[in-house]
Amino acid sequence: MAVRLLTKLKLIPELGGAAYSSSAAAPATISDFDAQHKTPVIRKQKHIPKAHYGGRHAVTMLPGGGIGPECMGYVREIFKYIGAPIDFEVVDIDPNVDNDEDVQYAITTIKRNGVGIKGNIETKSEASYVTSRNVALRNELDMYAYVMHCKSYSGIQTRHKDIDLAIIRQNTEGEYAMLEHESVHGVIESMKVVTASNSERVCRFAFEYAKRTGRKKVTTVHKANIMKLSDGLFLETSRRLAKDYPDIEHNDMIIDNCCMQLVAKPHQFDVMLMTNLYGSIVSNVVCGLMGGAGICSGRNYGEHYAVFEPGTRNTGTAIAGKNIANPIAMISASTSLLKHLGHYFHADLIRNAVTRTINEDRIMTPDIGGTASSSEVVKAIINNLGR
Amino acid sequence: MSLITRNIIRTLVQSKGGRIKCTLIPGDGVGPELVYSVQEVFKAAGIPVDFESYFFSEVNPTLSAPLEDVVNSIARNKICIKGILATPDFSHTGELQTLNMKLRNALDLYANVVHVKSLPNVNCRHKDVDCIIIREQTEGEYSALEHESVPGVVECLKIITAVKSDRIAKFAFDYAVKMGRKKVTAVHKANIMKLGDGTFLRSCEQMAALYPRIEFEKMIVDNCTMQMVSNPNQFDVMVAPNLYGNIVDNLASGLVGGAGVVAGASYSPECAVFEQGARHIFSGAVGKNIANPCAMLLCSANLLAHVNLHSYSKMIKNAINKVLLDGKVRTKDLGGQSTTKDFTNAIIFSLTHP
Repeated sequence: MAVRLLTKLKLIPELGGAAYSSSAAAPATISDFDAQHKTPVIRKQKHIPKAHYGGRHAVTMLPGGGIGPECMGYVREIFKYIGAPIDFEVVDIDPNVDNDEDVQYAITTIKRNGVGIKGNIETKSEASYVTSRNVALRNELDMYAYVMHCKSYSGIQTRHKDIDLAIIRQNTEGEYAMLEHESVHGVIESMKVVTASNSERVCRFAFEYAKRTGRKKVTTVHKANIMKLSDGLFLETSRRLAKDYPDIEHNDMIIDNCCMQLVAKPHQFDVMLMTNLYGSIVSNVVCGLMGGAGICSGRNYGEHYAVFEPGTRNTGTAIAGKNIANPIAMISASTSLLKHLGHYFHADLIRNAVTRTINEDRIMTPDIGGTASSSEVVKAIINNLGR
Repeated sequence: MSLITRNIIRTLVQSKGGRIKCTLIPGDGVGPELVYSVQEVFKAAGIPVDFESYFFSEVNPTLSAPLEDVVNSIARNKICIKGILATPDFSHTGELQTLNMKLRNALDLYANVVHVKSLPNVNCRHKDVDCIIIREQTEGEYSALEHESVPGVVECLKIITAVKSDRIAKFAFDYAVKMGRKKVTAVHKANIMKLGDGTFLRSCEQMAALYPRIEFEKMIVDNCTMQMVSNPNQFDVMVAPNLYGNIVDNLASGLVGGAGVVAGASYSPECAVFEQGARHIFSGAVGKNIANPCAMLLCSANLLAHVNLHSYSKMIKNAINKVLLDGKVRTKDLGGQSTTKDFTNAIIFSLTHP
């Protein structure tokens, strides 16, 4: 009951500026942190009309830290060239500030625009009451499904060729519930939360995704032999929903075996469905197989909102400003964004130009075996636009 | 890369044929003359826009293209430039909806935006007026629901819905964000129409909560008109239901030089129709070659910006500014003696001799 009441209160976080600063919250009320992480239930959102006027969309852009801002610059440059009907609303989040005002504002802008594109947002503060900004964003917007579509580029030298698989990950609960406590001195318990409602939503999403994109097989990744109840629930739900989709083959695989299979025989996978932490691990493994952090892009979906980001969630602070960061991941995220908004023509233009640049012209950054700088890659892509 | 090459590349990839198609409705009164001026300028500047022209008129029904054709064309091209359609006071057929209203409803052009901005060297009482008026234009008093319940008693229904109020309020705030504006003023008369305008006002208040970095204020329409003529610089973005918006639009246009210099646009989720901000057909000037094409040219510049041809848009805007600053070529409404043709030629001259 208390939990339900809490979510009701959190429905309208916009009201009153005072509600923003979590650190300043009075101890009598439940802090933003608690509300954020200890309520792993479906959040109901009020319907807000989408920012779509005269064929143009407004989209929130969160450059984030590290290489985020420069990559966003490349995206804007390309969008300008092809005349994509998108108006960006840029929100900068200061990583050093100890309160949540910027993050809350960013979340509000995504709520009213409906769509966002983001780099990785840094959370410098390690104080327990300051929430991880990325997690806050996903939880607050109730983006329960994460999709990463991994398709090999023939121009990148990797051990495995022609990988084409999609990873679908539960994005709001599981190990990321952030319920940790010290029950007696020296003993820490961390709770992993799996709910039937969230599992059902993400499983349904996975099968619908497979159906819509014409894929043949869904593999549920789990560890139900050890975590019989939590992962068991997830597995059971996926098995139950699989019955609604007789055309799609369904099997399951234990996470440790799955990782081994992935690096040995990745072609056996088609759509992979999993809980939060496994998703994080598997998506990074697959990114590694494809050629590193700079290629894949991810999509976060909720009932009302969608946020696009580079596939592996790392900021790349070490290479920021050196003009060697791989812009492909962010550009690929931007094409997903265009597709989501229905601008297929513009999305295909960019997609084709990127494929051509990597596979035919072989202009790449050093991380995937090339010698070009970031700006040279972007220039090559722009030259390939519309070819 | 030079500006021109960039533009070529952009247009190459923009649409499959390399050119942009735009629906054109000349309208009534001086509309055709003004539209001609736009076409001349586009031709001279080599702007890659092809017009799909439809004669569309309520007062001239025999010559008018069918509504479906026009609607289909706009829905396909997504952009349209439009002269003003005359609306007679009297309905011959007994139908209450005007052609303008039908077009708006068919395309769901719910948001009308008029950017009222003082132009250089146009002498007015107020300096540096710069406000954006956003008007809901598919419901409210324009519902075309009127009836005579008993002889001598006529009722006109004003419809306000929460859904449409929500989206116009959202539009206003989003537009303010896009344009980098600071304040949104809701214009209403909720002290009298507590339920109808009250709904509108509540929608605005709810949306305002989503925009913590934009100031929100409300103003009653009568006070608003007074403030507008005495101190127009206090306003930034204004949002109003249908009829109030119409009145405020015209009032504000009067402040900066009249119907000949103020551009407007109507938006649906998918399409944008660019037309003059103050809707007057100026029938007294038909064929006299004296109407001011400035508003229509500004509309065309806004249209180009809307389809990402920003450099062309800037070119036209700069040319207009230059001609007005020079002050040698002025049409009658700005106190000169020049003709529409003279003004157009002056614009073309300054385009080609930057």
